[in-house]
Amino acid sequence: MRRLLARQYLNAIGDLLGPEAKAAATAPADQPLNGFDMIGAAQLNVGDVGVVEYEKSARAAASAAVDDGSRIDDYLTCTPSGPTDEACLDTFVRNFGRLAFRRTLADDEAADIVAVGVAAGEAYSSFDQALQYAVATALESPSFVYQVEVGESLPGDPTVRKLTSNELATRMSFFLIDSTPSADLLDMAESGTLDSAEGLRAAAESLVARPEAAQAVAAMYDEILGLRALPTITKSGELYPEFSPALAASMRQETLSLLSDVVFTRDADFTELFTSNHTFVDAGLASLYGVTAPPAGEWHEVTFPADQPRSGFFGQASFLSTQAHIELTSPTLRGKFVRERLLCQSINPPPNDVITEFPDDEGLKTMRERLQVHQENPSCAGCHSLTDPIGLSFENFDSIGRHRLTENDVTIDASGELDDQGNFADGAELADLLVNDPNFTDCLVRNVYRASLGHLETDGEEVVVEHLVGGFDDGGRRLRAFLVELVVSDAFRFVGAEQ
Amino acid sequence: MSKFTLSRRTMLRGAVGTSLAALGLPLLEAMMNSHGTALAGGQPLPVRFLSWFFGNGVRLDQWVPSAALAGNNPDGDQPKFETGLFQGDAWQLSEELAPLAEVKEYLSVLSGFYNKAGQQNRRGHHDGAAGCLSGIPFIALDSGNANYASKFGGPTLDQVIVNRLQAQGVNTYLPSLHVGVSKRITTGEGPSLHHIAHKGPDEPIASVLSPQDVYDQLFGNFVPQDDPSGALRTAMLDAVAEDAKRLKQRVGKADQLRLDAHIDSVAQLRQQIAALPPTCTKPGSPTQTNEDTDGKEPLEEVAHVMADLVTLAYSCDLTRVATWQQSGSVGGTVYWMTGATTEEHGLSHEPGGQDLIHAAVVFNMTCFAYLLENLKNTQEGDSTLLDNSAITLVSDAAQGITHSNFDMPFVVAGKGGGKLKSDLHHRSANDRNSANNTSDILLSVLQCFDESATEVGADEGYSNTPLASIKA
Repeated sequence: MRRLLARQYLNAIGDLLGPEAKAAATAPADQPLNGFDMIGAAQLNVGDVGVVEYEKSARAAASAAVDDGSRIDDYLTCTPSGPTDEACLDTFVRNFGRLAFRRTLADDEAADIVAVGVAAGEAYSSFDQALQYAVATALESPSFVYQVEVGESLPGDPTVRKLTSNELATRMSFFLIDSTPSADLLDMAESGTLDSAEGLRAAAESLVARPEAAQAVAAMYDEILGLRALPTITKSGELYPEFSPALAASMRQETLSLLSDVVFTRDADFTELFTSNHTFVDAGLASLYGVTAPPAGEWHEVTFPADQPRSGFFGQASFLSTQAHIELTSPTLRGKFVRERLLCQSINPPPNDVITEFPDDEGLKTMRERLQVHQENPSCAGCHSLTDPIGLSFENFDSIGRHRLTENDVTIDASGELDDQGNFADGAELADLLVNDPNFTDCLVRNVYRASLGHLETDGEEVVVEHLVGGFDDGGRRLRAFLVELVVSDAFRFVGAEQ
Repeated sequence: MSKFTLSRRTMLRGAVGTSLAALGLPLLEAMMNSHGTALAGGQPLPVRFLSWFFGNGVRLDQWVPSAALAGNNPDGDQPKFETGLFQGDAWQLSEELAPLAEVKEYLSVLSGFYNKAGQQNRRGHHDGAAGCLSGIPFIALDSGNANYASKFGGPTLDQVIVNRLQAQGVNTYLPSLHVGVSKRITTGEGPSLHHIAHKGPDEPIASVLSPQDVYDQLFGNFVPQDDPSGALRTAMLDAVAEDAKRLKQRVGKADQLRLDAHIDSVAQLRQQIAALPPTCTKPGSPTQTNEDTDGKEPLEEVAHVMADLVTLAYSCDLTRVATWQQSGSVGGTVYWMTGATTEEHGLSHEPGGQDLIHAAVVFNMTCFAYLLENLKNTQEGDSTLLDNSAITLVSDAAQGITHSNFDMPFVVAGKGGGKLKSDLHHRSANDRNSANNTSDILLSVLQCFDESATEVGADEGYSNTPLASIKA
C-alpha cells in the first residue's frame, strides 16, 4: 500500500476534476526513505498533519470542481429531481468513484458516500452541495489516497500474488504519467486487454507517448539527481556575484531539458545525459559557460566550449553547484554523489569522535594537496579513496560550475583512476569510463525500480533486476523502451504475498 | 467530543505579529481558586512541556559553565571541567549561555552526561538526536546499496508525555504542537535527521515552518455551532474511517497498522471539528512569513513569532506539549547574522569555522531566551507560564566537529509546576564511563507530567533512575 506522492495526488485531482480543482488542492509533503519519496510513501504513516491536509484539500478541490462544473457533468448522468435525490446521487457517486478509486465501488462504499451527500443536500437545500460533499468524501478516503495492491493468489505459489487488472492499470499509470488511470485504461483493464503481454505492452507504449510521461520522468530524475536542492542552496555573494535563485532555477531547468532531449526528443542512448557535449542554456547560463547567449527569457541548444572538459550532467552547473560548498568545491561531496547515486555504492560517514583536521598550511594551494591527508590517514582513506579521486576530476569547475585552469595560481590536476576501469585525464574522460562501468547501468535500473515500486530490491528480485539490466544494455540503453520493459516485467505485475 | 479545559470567559487580546513580547494574558483565572495557585476544582495548574532542539552541537569550552581543569586542551575532543553540583551564586552562565541571563534562575544546565542510547548504533547526528530526544537507539534502515537512512526506535519524550496526559483524561484541542524555524533541514537520510518528534518508528511528525500554518492549526478548525458544515465534516470523516476499516480487511499486517494510524489521525481531526471554540478571543493572523530575502532566512523574526504562538497555545490551553526545531540535525542553516556564509553542518567540520559555530550557538540561545522570557512574562494566577513549564533543550551532538555522544548540551528550563529545582549547573563527569545517562534527565522531566512514571527509553538508553539533582 503506497500513499500517492504529492505530485501524483495533485495530478489525479486535475485529471478527475479539472484544472480549477487541481489548483485548489494541496498535498501533504512527501517523506523520503533510502533516498526515495516512493519508499517513504510505502512505509510511513500519514500522521495527524497529513489527515488535516487531506481534509482541507478535498473540501477545497470539491468546491472548486462543483463551481467549475464542467467535469462534474461527465459523472452526472442523471437529472436530479431535488437537493436530496438519492438515486441520482448514487449514480454520480458510482461513476465518479470508479475513476477516483480506480475500481468499481461496492454497495456499502457507495452508500456511505451517498449518505454524506444527502445530508449536505438537505442541510443546504442544494444538490450542488450534495455533489460537493460526496466528491470531498471520496477524495479524502484511503481508497483514493493510497494505491492498494493486494493482487490475486496464484494456484500453486503462496509467496506471490498477481496484481488485479485494475491494480496493474493503476500502477502503470501512476508510474508512467504520475496520474490516475483514465476511463479508457480502466475499460481496457476490465475487459482483459492488459492480461495479454501484447495488450499490456501496447497500453504502456501509449502512456509513454503522452506528454505527461516526460513530466513524470523529469520528476523522477529531479529526485535521483538531487536537483530539488537547487532552490535552497546558497553561495558566497563575494566570490560568486552572478549566483542567484534565478540562476539556480535555470541550472535545474538545464538538466531537465537535456534529459527530455535525450529521452523523449531523440530517444537516444540514455548515458548521453552524462556524456553529451551539447546542453541548453539561457542568458545566465550562457555567461557562466562562456557560450553564445539566446535572447533574454529564451533558451537554445549550444555546444560546450571545446577547451572545457564538460560532459553532460557532470559538466552542468546543477551538479557542480549542488555538490559543493558555499565558497569551496567539495571533491568529497561530488565523489560521494557519484558513488551513492550513480553507482549505488553506500559510503560510510566520517568516524565518530575524530576531528577532521585539515592541515593549516598555506603551502597547500590546491584542493588535491589539501585532501591528501584523507589518503594518508588510514581511518579516512577507507572511504575517501572511493570518493575523492572521482571528485577531484571535476576540480576544473568551481563551486558554481565556472571553468578554471588554476587554483591559487597552481595548475589543477584533474587526472586519476577509476577502480579497475582505467585512467582519466579529467572529468570528461571520467564520464566516459563511468557510463561504461557495469555498475552504472545496473544502478540506473535500480534507481528507476526503487522510484517506481517503492522498495529496495529483495533477494528474490535480483534475477529480475539482472534481466532488466541486460535488456536495457541490449536495447541501446534507451530509457523510454526500458520504462515499457519494466511495466511488462514480472516485478511490475506481481507482488509478494502480504504477511 | 473534547472539552476545553480553559474557562469560557478568559479573553485573549492582541494580535500575533512579529513582536509581541508581552500579551499580558489573564489566563485561566476564572477557573482558579482565590489564591491563584490551583484550579478551582482543586487540580494543580497544568504543566507544559516543550522540547527545544538545534542541530550540530556547541563548542564545549564555551558552553560548559564550570571552570576548565588545568591542562585542558580547549580545542580538544573532550575538554574537562570541574564536576559537581553548583547552585545559585555558585554558578555563572557561560559565554554561549549568556543570552539566558534574564531567566538564569529557571535553568538547570546539565553537562558531562552521556547519551547511552547513542552507543548502540553509531552514526553521527542520528545517534545524538534519537538518544537525547527519545532515550531509544535509532533503527538503521537496511540501505543495501541505496542511500543511508534511519528512523527513530520509538516515541520521543513529547509523545510519551502526550500519551501519559491522555491516559489521565487530558485531551487538549491539539495533542501537541510542532514548530520549526530554519527551513534548511536535511531530508535525505530518513526521519531521524529530518524530524525531532516521532510517535514511533513509522510516524515522524513534521515541524510546521510557516507561522500562518501554525496559526491555522491553533485557530483554523473551529466551526461555529450553528454552521452545518461542522456536522457534515464529522460525517465525512466517519465515512473515511469506514473506508479505512474496510481496506484493513484486505491488506497485510504492516498496512493494517498504517491504516490504524490513519484512523487515529482521522479521529483526532474529528475531535477538533467537534470541539467548542476556545475561550480566548482569536488573535489576528501573523504577518511574518518564513520566506527568504536574498537567500537569507528570517530566523530571528520567525523564532519570535513562533514563541508568541507557542505562548498563546499554552495560555489558551490549546495544547500542553510542543516541540521546537530551531535548526536541523546536519542542518544547512546559514547563520548570516553572525557573518557566516557557509551552511552550518559543513562549517562544523572545519577547524577554522569554530568561531562561527560558537556565534551560531549564541544566536540560537538568544532565540531560546526570547521564548523563555515570553513565558516568564505571562502571568498565570500567582505564577507564570515558565513556572508551570518543563522545557528541555538538546542538540544532536556534543560538538559538531566530532559527533561525540558524551557531554551533550542539555538544559532543563522552568519549574515544572513546582516539581523541578533550577538555577543550577550539574556537571556529571569528565568521562563517559562514570557519567549519568541523558535518559535520567528525560525521566525527571517525564515525572513532572506523571509521578507514577518509573522508566524511559529502551536498550542502552533505558533509565529507571531519575536525576535527583533537578527534582524539587
